[in-house]
Amino acid sequence: MTDAPFIEIEDLYFFRGDHEIFRGVNMTIPRGKVTAIMGPSGTGKTTLLKLIGGQLTPESGRILIDGQDVHRLSRKALFTLRKRMGMLFQSGALFSDLDVFENVAFPLRVHTDLPDTMVRDLVLLKLQAVGLRGARHLTPAELSGGMARRVALARAVALDPELILYDEPFVGQDPISMGVLVQLIKRLNQALQLTSVVVSHDIKETLSIADYLYLIADGQVIAHGTPQTLDINQDPRVSQFIHGEPDGPVPFHYPAEAFYRDILGETPVTQKD
Amino acid sequence: MQSKFSNSAARITRLGRRGCDLMEALGRAGVFLFQSAIGVPSREGWRLWLHQMHFVGVLSLAIVLVSGLFIGMVLALQGYTILVDFGAEQALGQMVALSLLRELAPVVAALLFAGRAGSALTAEIGLMKATEQLTSMEMIGVDPLRRVVAPRLWAGFVSLPILTVGFSVVGIWGGYLVGVEWLGVFEGSYWSNMQANVAFISDIGNGMIKSAVFALVVTWIAVFQGYDLVPTSEGISRATTRTVVYSSLAVLGLDFVLTAMMFGGL
Repeated sequence: MTDAPFIEIEDLYFFRGDHEIFRGVNMTIPRGKVTAIMGPSGTGKTTLLKLIGGQLTPESGRILIDGQDVHRLSRKALFTLRKRMGMLFQSGALFSDLDVFENVAFPLRVHTDLPDTMVRDLVLLKLQAVGLRGARHLTPAELSGGMARRVALARAVALDPELILYDEPFVGQDPISMGVLVQLIKRLNQALQLTSVVVSHDIKETLSIADYLYLIADGQVIAHGTPQTLDINQDPRVSQFIHGEPDGPVPFHYPAEAFYRDILGETPVTQKD
Repeated sequence: MQSKFSNSAARITRLGRRGCDLMEALGRAGVFLFQSAIGVPSREGWRLWLHQMHFVGVLSLAIVLVSGLFIGMVLALQGYTILVDFGAEQALGQMVALSLLRELAPVVAALLFAGRAGSALTAEIGLMKATEQLTSMEMIGVDPLRRVVAPRLWAGFVSLPILTVGFSVVGIWGGYLVGVEWLGVFEGSYWSNMQANVAFISDIGNGMIKSAVFALVVTWIAVFQGYDLVPTSEGISRATTRTVVYSSLAVLGLDFVLTAMMFGGL
C-alpha cells in the first residue's frame, strides 16, 4: 500500500448564493485511517462530504481522490470512482421501494455479475455485522431511524469500498447501537484497511475512534491534529468545542439585536414580523 | 421623476432576470432530456421500463377509457341533435370518429395523463430527491438519470399513444351506443360513413403524431419538475402543480400549432 494520502483538499472555496461556506480549506486525509471532521452545526461539514463525493462543485480549489481531481472527471469517470466509495447518509437514504435485503443487495446487483446465492450470502454477512439479519424482510418505512442508519451502513460497505464517508453516524442512536456503531467503524477500518472520513459533532465517540482530527469553523480549518494534541490545544475556539463549554468565542446565539431591545419593541419591525 | 425612472428600470431588470432564468431552465431541461433518453437500455433497463409501463400506462387505463366512453356518448348526442335538423344524421359515425381521432382523443387523453400519471411521476421523483435517495444512488455509482428517470420517460412516451388509441376506440363505441342503439341512427350508415371518410394517414396517423408529441412533452415536464424541484414538502407540492399546469398549457398550445400544420394548410 502506498503512503500517499487518499484525499487531498487544496485551497477550497465554496459559496451558497452569497453566503461563503468555505474559504481556503486545505486538508490531507491519510490512507487506511479514520479521519474526523468536526465543527459546530452549520459549518458545512455535510457540504464538505458532498464536495468530496463530487455532488457539489467548488468555486475554486481542487479535491484529489487517489490522485484524481474529482471535479475534472467526466460523468462516467466520476461514477466509476464512486464505486470505490461508500457514503453513510444522515437520514439513511434507503430506497423506499425495496426491502432491507434488496437495499443492501442493490450495489452488488448493479455493479457485479455475482450469482443470486452469492449475493444472498454477502448481504446476510453485511446484515449480520450490523445486527439486522432478522430484519431483512422489513421495508424502510418499518425501521426506526437508528435501524435505517445501520442498514445504510451495511449497504455502504456492500461493495467493500476503499473509502467510506460517514455523515453524522451517531445522531439519534440509542446508547447500545451507538457503542456498536463506534466499534463497527473502528473494526471495519482495521479489518479492511479502509480510509474513513467521519463528520460528526459527537465529541466523545468521535475522539475514541479517530486517528486524526480536523476542526472547522467560520469556513476554515481552525485546528488539526491527533485527538491527544487537540485535547490540550490552548486555542479558546478549539477548547470551547472539544470541552463543550457554553461560553466562549463561538456564540450560541445567531447574530441579533440586544435581547432587551427586542423584547421592549425598540428594534424596527421587519416585514416578516 | 427619478423614482419613476428607477421603478421602470427595476421592472425591466426583473423582466430580464426572469427571461434569463427561463432560458437557463429550458437549457437545463434540454440537457436533462438528452442525458436521460440517449443510450441503449440494459436488460435491467427493460425490466424497469416494463415496471413503469404498468404504473404509468396500465393504471391510467381506467380513467382514460371511462372518459373516452362518456366523451363519445356526448359527442353522438350533441352531433345528432344538430345533424338531424339537416337530415344528415347518417353522417354521425364520421363526425364522432373524426372529432375523436383528430382532436379529442389525443388532447383529452394527454390532459388526463398529465393529471393522473404526470403528477404522480413528479411527486415520486421529488420525494426520492427530498429523502436523498437520488443522491445515495449517485454515491453508489448509479446514474439516477438512467435508472430512475429514463424508464419513466420512455414508459410515458410509449403508453400515452396506446392510451389514446384506447380512448378513440371506446369513444367510437360510446357514440355507437347513443347514436345507433338509443337514437336510432341506421347502423350500416354509422359504420360505412366512418369507413369511407376516415383516412388512415391524414386522420389516424396525424392523431397519433399529435399524441406522441404530447406524450414526450407531458412526460418530460413531469420528470424534469420532479428532478429539478426544491427538496421540501412545499417544493414537491409546487412542482406537482406546475407539472399539471405546464403540461395542460403545452398540450393545448401545441395542439393548435400541430392542427394548423396538419389540417390548416400551413
